[in-house]
Amino acid sequence: MFQYDFMQNAFIAGTAVAVMCGMVGVFVMARGLSFIAHTFSHIGFSGASFAVLAGWDPFYGLVLFTLASAVAIGRLGVRFFRRDASISVILSLFLGLGILFLHLSAKQASFVSSILFGSVVGISGRDVWQIAGLSVLVLLALALGYRMLKFDSFDPAGAQAAGLPVAAISAGFLVLMSIAVAEAVQIVGALLVFTLMTIPASSARCLTHSVFSMLIVSAALAAAGVWIGLVLAYYTNWPASFFITSVEALIYFIALGLQQARERRPA
Amino acid sequence: MTHSISLEHITVSLGGEKILSDVSLDLRPGEFLGVIGPNGAGKSTLFRVILGLVEPQEGIVRLMGPQGRPATPSQIGYVPQSRQLDAETPITVFDFVSLALPHKYRPWLTRRDKEAVREALRLTQSGHLAGKSIGRLSGGERQRVYLAQALVRGPGILMLDEPTSNLDPGAQEKMAAVVHRVCREKGIAVLFISHDVNLIAQYADRILYLTRGHYAVGTVEEVIRPDVLSPLYGTNVRVEHRGARLTVLTDPADRVPICYHEPAGAKR
Repeated sequence: MFQYDFMQNAFIAGTAVAVMCGMVGVFVMARGLSFIAHTFSHIGFSGASFAVLAGWDPFYGLVLFTLASAVAIGRLGVRFFRRDASISVILSLFLGLGILFLHLSAKQASFVSSILFGSVVGISGRDVWQIAGLSVLVLLALALGYRMLKFDSFDPAGAQAAGLPVAAISAGFLVLMSIAVAEAVQIVGALLVFTLMTIPASSARCLTHSVFSMLIVSAALAAAGVWIGLVLAYYTNWPASFFITSVEALIYFIALGLQQARERRPA
Repeated sequence: MTHSISLEHITVSLGGEKILSDVSLDLRPGEFLGVIGPNGAGKSTLFRVILGLVEPQEGIVRLMGPQGRPATPSQIGYVPQSRQLDAETPITVFDFVSLALPHKYRPWLTRRDKEAVREALRLTQSGHLAGKSIGRLSGGERQRVYLAQALVRGPGILMLDEPTSNLDPGAQEKMAAVVHRVCREKGIAVLFISHDVNLIAQYADRILYLTRGHYAVGTVEEVIRPDVLSPLYGTNVRVEHRGARLTVLTDPADRVPICYHEPAGAKR
């Protein structure tokens, strides 16, 4: 299976994105941003459609739109976006815009399905290095901001009391998350961003007792899901996104079961 | 015994309402100052002024370090009133306390960092909790761990905003005793907000009694007196001594008592 370039590309890009999303996801969950991440992916869909209409690489449209929304939320404050109503309005608005852009660009259905449901097997050699490079950059930023981000994510009141620049931390993390979402859209598609952003982190939370081990376990579970999904997709010819999502979900239910079994056992 | 605070003629209005009016106060090095007063009296606002989060319309806040050198709010260990922690937060007490270590970028902990965490846990009698998950602690244990987190930076001043509310009487007592010990052992000046005058009376060197627009400072004997408290409330106030317990009531007796002065442990 590795004799094919497209499978090599899929494995490299998939791993890079999975590791990065697994780690970013830990903080997404801790900060309660999972639905904002989901909204970002729909905004990203709209961005990709716009890029196609404008004749650019769809990835640039994705990153441009998600980054712009991260900056906008950073300005408005996350609280505005926590409201269910705000989220559903923005999400619908951008999905609608995406549909309009697609209609105007008269692009065929294959593009729509690849952006909504992922196209990990269709990633080109040039894209692979772009994706991997961006993942490394995000991870470096995460390592640099790790201490402050950890404090603010897991004990926001304490971080504020200790005088940390909480507004800057929040805005900075939104930017990282927007890039992570744009990359995840490439692998699993806009509709399945949860697959890499939130499921592995939630599984890791059931299995570990420290933030650092959560990061490692979350990244490992995300990567494992992508690998297994790619192998199954190769042999069955069914969509990789389906398998990745199913494997991640299966891992989650196992982790949840293990956690509950551990709690029920008398101490 | 190094850090101190000096407030001179502090006046703060928020949203057109005067919260603090001409408050002058010294927190002496190593002193335990209890802060009491009704809800909305401006206790938390006073804290925010000292932390530099609220700019007073009038007056000066002076933080002083060793040898009277100016200090910054970063040398204050502050334990805020409300804290929402998920019971499933997968963090041990040790890691939770280490969050507040002063270094900002280095992702790992040095031996010295770990020593500082252990010392903070020892001071707050929480050493045995180090490996436990923060979400699984009782209310009293949590408050002591929050205190440990504030202590891990080695502050010269401690400010605690109602650390004993929502605790049972035994845990309140223990919390106040722990803070008192830290104050004496480390010579850290303490500002401690509480609603329980009897708890404060046991440990505080002096108290600051705040009502909206008025205040009084002094020892418990100097402040908890009808002639001092009545002007603060603008009505007649009775102080009852039941054994060693103090109860503050507005007069006439058929009106609602100032219930936050009812000793929390009437059954204690």
